[in-house]
Amino acid sequence: MLDFNVLIPETAEPDKLWDLIILGGGPAGLTAGIYAARYKLETLLLEKSIVSGGQLTATQWIENYPGFREPVLGKKLAADMEAQAKHFGLKVISENVQSVNLADEIKEIETDYAKYQAKTVIIATGSSPRRLGLSDEQKYAGNGVSYCSTCDAPFFKDKVVAVVGGGNTAFEEALFITKYASQLYLIHRREEFTADRIFQDKVFAEPNIKIITNSVVTGLNFDLQVGRSLNLQNTISKESSELEVDGIFIFIGNLPNTALFTQQLELDEGYVVTNRKYETNQKGVWAIGDVQKGVLRQVATAVGDGAGAAHQVNKYLVENH
Amino acid sequence: MPMLDEKVMSEVKKVLAAMREPVTLRLYTQELECAYCKDTHTLLDELVEANPLLKLEVIKFDEVKEDAAKEGIDKLPAIVVVGERDYGIRFYGIPAGYEFSALLNAILMVSTKIVKLTDETKEFLAKLDKPVHLQVYVTPTCPYCPPSVILAHQLAMASKMVRADMVEASEFPHLVQKYSVQGVPRTVINEKWFVEGAAPEAMVIAKIKEALLDA
Repeated sequence: MLDFNVLIPETAEPDKLWDLIILGGGPAGLTAGIYAARYKLETLLLEKSIVSGGQLTATQWIENYPGFREPVLGKKLAADMEAQAKHFGLKVISENVQSVNLADEIKEIETDYAKYQAKTVIIATGSSPRRLGLSDEQKYAGNGVSYCSTCDAPFFKDKVVAVVGGGNTAFEEALFITKYASQLYLIHRREEFTADRIFQDKVFAEPNIKIITNSVVTGLNFDLQVGRSLNLQNTISKESSELEVDGIFIFIGNLPNTALFTQQLELDEGYVVTNRKYETNQKGVWAIGDVQKGVLRQVATAVGDGAGAAHQVNKYLVENH
Repeated sequence: MPMLDEKVMSEVKKVLAAMREPVTLRLYTQELECAYCKDTHTLLDELVEANPLLKLEVIKFDEVKEDAAKEGIDKLPAIVVVGERDYGIRFYGIPAGYEFSALLNAILMVSTKIVKLTDETKEFLAKLDKPVHLQVYVTPTCPYCPPSVILAHQLAMASKMVRADMVEASEFPHLVQKYSVQGVPRTVINEKWFVEGAAPEAMVIAKIKEALLDA
């Protein structure tokens, strides 16, 4: 079935002083945008992709977002959130942020193309897939190494693939990839999995998925297009082995997208430190969603954060400006 | 039932209202051995209804093979987005899913002549004196792909030396094999150099410079 997405990057006038600039268009940022727009705050959302939704767009099905008894497509949920936010007047533009100045009263955000100013900023930059850290990993990204199953799984039709990870993402994505792959090895460094039991049951019931526990990938033998393999090491016996695969999907958690803020915000292991009001250590700057330290990273929690932070921003603007 | 339903069509009309100059979608097609020619033809038939400035020209590939080859058309279906001239903006395979947005962007860009590139890139393109052929491999379900396609098409728009193709990977398995595409977006520069993923403008330009130096 063919579908057709209509997403056109807009532009925003750079000379305007915005009430609020939201960095990042995932579910947290979009929800903050919906609420802020309904508070009638002049709000600009910057998203580096032209497709809003963040990690939602790279997720096939969402099964645990309230209100959808049947699983909802991640990209559909994302597109609907964006349309809803725009309907209330949120301005969304697709520009990559180069640098920020969050310390002063007026915050400055510089993109590849322009500089924007705002009274307040909400950081909703989320996180990106963590790499395994193998020397050849970057070299084979897009040619055997993948971090996005909705993007790349179709290239592995009737092929043998490995999925690395033991959490919800690894299990959900394994179930999706197995629709294409003829054989799937799920490799995890521990004996136990952190994925929800509902996913574990589904994966264990899948005849084409073989589980390899207590093992780590130590090398990619991907020089040739055929006859590829992985080097594995058992974490207990320390024994090495080789596993023939055509490609590898890596879902071993995420790293926060906070490189822009290292000099300006209090971070802990890269995550932005926030309090229960989503405040950061900078006045006029809030952080929501996956980018925060020590939170559950779900669509449901992200949207809650978005609503809460927009409320805090509105209160702050009423009191301070 | 139409391919573009009422809701999509009304969104399309809204965004294409920004068109200024006429745009022709030149579709190269053939009846046999082209899995998506028919669907692409239907799609474009419906799309051009959205704005009177938009026209469709259907060309039977068999009848113009040699002329088409001169324009670099070597696979089907092919869409060339033509404005005042042919800027080298091409789509191979059906522009469905997220790539439909890339097609709308190309139409708007050609129609308004507005490109969004940094001054550094514009300077580089102004001095560019060697041909650059960009092929951006995509799948319709890849949310990270349209920015790469749009960037490539902007470069083509801004320089006569650049030709930029969107290539829908699943329709051209031999090319997927040839360029070892197992992930998208993957941008192929002058047949031999590659950019993985949705790389920012500066990174793509740096890779093009590298390709030109090595050539």
